[in-house]
Amino acid sequence: IPVPESNPSLAGISRAPLEHSPSPCILADSREISSGPGVISCLRAVHGLRVQVCSLGTSDYIVSSRLAVDRVFQSELQSPGNRNKLSQRLQRLQGVFERICVIVETDRVRPGETSRFFQRTQHYDGVLSALVQAGIRILFSSCQEETAALLKELALLEHRKDAAIQAPTEPEGHRRDILNFYLSIPNLSYGAALNLCHSFGSITAVANSSVAALAAGARLSRPQAEELHRFLRHDFDLQLLPQPLPAKGK
Amino acid sequence: PVTAGSIVVPYGHVIGNEKWRGSEVAQRLQGKVRLIFEDGLGLVDFHLSNRTCILLISEADLVAGDEFKRRLVRFRNASSLRGIVIVEKTQISDQYYSGVQKFVVLELGMVLLPVANQGEASQLIVQLVSFCVREQSKERGANPFLRKQRAQLAEPAVLQAAQHIPGVGKTKALLLLQHFGSIHRLCNASISELGQVVGQTVAQQIYTF
Repeated sequence: IPVPESNPSLAGISRAPLEHSPSPCILADSREISSGPGVISCLRAVHGLRVQVCSLGTSDYIVSSRLAVDRVFQSELQSPGNRNKLSQRLQRLQGVFERICVIVETDRVRPGETSRFFQRTQHYDGVLSALVQAGIRILFSSCQEETAALLKELALLEHRKDAAIQAPTEPEGHRRDILNFYLSIPNLSYGAALNLCHSFGSITAVANSSVAALAAGARLSRPQAEELHRFLRHDFDLQLLPQPLPAKGK
Repeated sequence: PVTAGSIVVPYGHVIGNEKWRGSEVAQRLQGKVRLIFEDGLGLVDFHLSNRTCILLISEADLVAGDEFKRRLVRFRNASSLRGIVIVEKTQISDQYYSGVQKFVVLELGMVLLPVANQGEASQLIVQLVSFCVREQSKERGANPFLRKQRAQLAEPAVLQAAQHIPGVGKTKALLLLQHFGSIHRLCNASISELGQVVGQTVAQQIYTF
């Protein structure tokens, strides 16, 4: 649940300095090229944001170093069929991100189809209630263009709260390999991995860092930084590997 | 008067503002939840639990102008309760929705849920109450969207990570981890130490990485 501005009615005033800083960047999952092309092109063309398409895996969009956004269709919330998939996805996101937002988008009316009457089900209300209870932010959108506008608003808001993604989003060559190494660490978001690449000279520097330095460098919350720290110093025990391994090597 | 403080809501009950007595929402809630009316709830329309309450914004409120915004801001400033705003989003009020959403969710940081009419509002309230009850009874596992804290073995993940080092596959990753124990110690190993495990060429690659 977001911390509200201390004085909401004055929130508009603090926006002025934004004009001078670079526009915020949004990371989009590569699957969104096919499922939400309107969102991506609208973000770029209408709102002038930097959109970096990468293989996020976890969420549809990453808006800041702590906020992930998932785009779901209204129809997906209507029936219990999708419930498991959605809850698994959101549970995973909660391990990785401090804040999660779901944008519920009205389904597109396909050509030749008359506008379907939206019949609100009990399941739909139940899902909304569960999301509210879990502290997940919900936004409603009527089309891809509106979704893009909402993503922009979220990015600006996070930018104002100094949580925007600032590291270069497209490392190359050797840095690309290092990024892939960071991405293989469990519960580390794409944004945090980018920050690690950007803030630390080498993996050794990361491995030797204190929890506080990791939190500052990767812009992680304290518990997340502790988890990363633990992971890097985890003592490997061959006996604990689940599957039997091929007896080669020695 | 601005009354937005918490009140004690008996388990599984809903306390409704007196002004909703006899309304469609109230009628539909009767029988599904135990509804009690009270005077002087001030800004709040329904209390679902000691922490959660509902502010209902009708189609007419939306069309009438900004009065409802003042009410929400007053609530936000005066109360530490979790306020859920339910708004009547109809064909007439639809055009105002995105503005309201921006204000309520992004600026005030409150929850906003649209319904088409009072009937839908009552259905939604029933579901919200059931989740409030579950939360109070500490049945948190019942929420499918809350992350279950589960201890996970780090071994497979550490092995995966080690395989992202150039020149290192599964076999070498295992050897390295058996020898050095953790990624931290692996990072701080010298070329000659690495060389003893995987050979000079790969040791050089790992060291440079």
